[in-house]
Amino acid sequence: MSSDALPETLAAPSAREHGPLWFAVQRFLENRAAVASGIFLVLLILAAIFAPLFTKPDPNAQDYLTKALAFPSAEFWFGVDDIGRDFFARIIYGARVSLSIGFLAALFSVLIGIPLGALAGYFGGWVDWLIMRIIELFSVVPPLLAAMLLGALTRGGFFTIILISALFGWVQVCLLVRAQVRAFREKEFVRAAQALGASPAYIIRRHLIPNSLSPIIVGFVLAIPLAMMLEASLSFLGIGVPPPTPSWGQMINTGLDFMFFYWHMAVFPTAALALTVLATTLFGDGLRDALDPTLKGR
Amino acid sequence: MLSYIVKRLLSIAVTFIVVSIIVFLMMHAIPGGPFDGNDMPVSEAVRAKLMASLGLDQPLWTQYVNYMLGVLRFDFGVPFQSPGETVMSLLANAWPPSLVLGGLGVLIGAPLGILLGMAAALRRNTWVDYLVSAVATLGLTIPVFVISMLLILIFAVWLNWLPASGWGDPRKWILPIAAYAAIPLATYARYTRSAMLDTLNRPFVTALRAKGLSESRIIFQHVLRNSALPMVTVFLPMFIGTATGSIFVEAMFRVPGLGSYFVSSIENRDYPLEMALILMVTVMFCLAYLVSDVAYALLNPRIRVSGEGR
Repeated sequence: MSSDALPETLAAPSAREHGPLWFAVQRFLENRAAVASGIFLVLLILAAIFAPLFTKPDPNAQDYLTKALAFPSAEFWFGVDDIGRDFFARIIYGARVSLSIGFLAALFSVLIGIPLGALAGYFGGWVDWLIMRIIELFSVVPPLLAAMLLGALTRGGFFTIILISALFGWVQVCLLVRAQVRAFREKEFVRAAQALGASPAYIIRRHLIPNSLSPIIVGFVLAIPLAMMLEASLSFLGIGVPPPTPSWGQMINTGLDFMFFYWHMAVFPTAALALTVLATTLFGDGLRDALDPTLKGR
Repeated sequence: MLSYIVKRLLSIAVTFIVVSIIVFLMMHAIPGGPFDGNDMPVSEAVRAKLMASLGLDQPLWTQYVNYMLGVLRFDFGVPFQSPGETVMSLLANAWPPSLVLGGLGVLIGAPLGILLGMAAALRRNTWVDYLVSAVATLGLTIPVFVISMLLILIFAVWLNWLPASGWGDPRKWILPIAAYAAIPLATYARYTRSAMLDTLNRPFVTALRAKGLSESRIIFQHVLRNSALPMVTVFLPMFIGTATGSIFVEAMFRVPGLGSYFVSSIENRDYPLEMALILMVTVMFCLAYLVSDVAYALLNPRIRVSGEGR
């Protein structure tokens, strides 16, 4: 039966005007805090990408040693730091470090969490038991303390921090994916696929993971601020990103020694870190509520 | 209930052993021993003798078993940073400041958080609600050392009301206690608000109102009691947040407590001290899990631990 044989009146009802994505976008736009956070993050990402265009050439160059610790002025928007580096450039380049660590760590978390969560949810049984025991182990060891130990043992470094954050970030993604896969495993279309002889790998890839997309996105976005916080905390303790790479955590630690006389050394990195972590979290929360209202409230 | 607790304690023991093995192996995976550095060059023979006297020449599993036998007697070895003492004596001097500040922080923060959460739920969608939600969000998302920094900048640097750091004079306690209180306050405010709102929307509240009960009796006798349960679940995240936050609070305010020892042990790569702290914190967290689960089961007659009839 071909569709052009059907009379006009019998044609399928016109598609719904608005798909689920439209409603998600509407829900997100209603959340003013999340929208404001999103705008802030876009600006910050743009600033980080195009940093060389509007900052002094090199954030690590000690070009202004004679003006060390100068207060903010028209020439140095955020002042000059203790060893003669333009502080505005360092804050903006610090955003590069913070954001790239956040994104890469979240990416790795998702890459570990999705397959493990799908395996645990789909197969159940001893696979599930094993993965859940591993997760349990991760939940009794406080991530920050373990990360500090790992950081101290490995002596920090950009990629080490990413790996450490991912090591603790995948748990959340894994649990979200597992719950979603378990819920969909018994659905009719999955049963039908099984009856047609589809392999578990195919079902997971073709049916279960696409249906887990919103928790995955939410897990990804919410892993970002956690990684950024971890980086800042470790760098604050001197076991994160090694100097001279600009990192907000490091700058806060230095600022602590200067804050009574040179307030700009403490205020700008603190504000930058607080605003960025806050904006990412609020954005992630907004996304979660918009994509899947049932996940709301934790 | 008793068999459940015993089972949980056994699983805590297993967790403890697994964590200790992992941490132990990690520390020994680092190439180089304590006498390989250039600070104290020693001859090959002397080094071998030193290693033998410390038991470092034995196979790894023997070293592990010896270490764990010591741990059972609360003997965590000798810290590198002050070889005249033991890890235990160092820690015994370190916990009072942490306990005083952390305890006061929780004792002030948690009730205040509950009150704020109640106020927010009862005045829903007014400025009270928005303010409390904003405070709770800030407290839960911003890292503790940033909160501490903001407190120092506002009250010590800018207003010059309070000393920024130190230990001893009670005036110096105020800012660290405020920093400690941030996490319990934020956690309890958020959870109390959502728990109260949940309960207020239940049909039985409408029934009580229809019955003509006064609003204050409804709130205090019925809503509050029915909202109390989630506050037990909050205990754990609050406990973990406060405990790990203590490291940063004490580093920021230069308080000589457990947290600052942890930081200095990391800076000095003082592995015996670090290992002891990690093991103790793991046990603390496991016990906190147990306490909150048991309290939850005891308080809620609707939830019974599996394997116990019903």
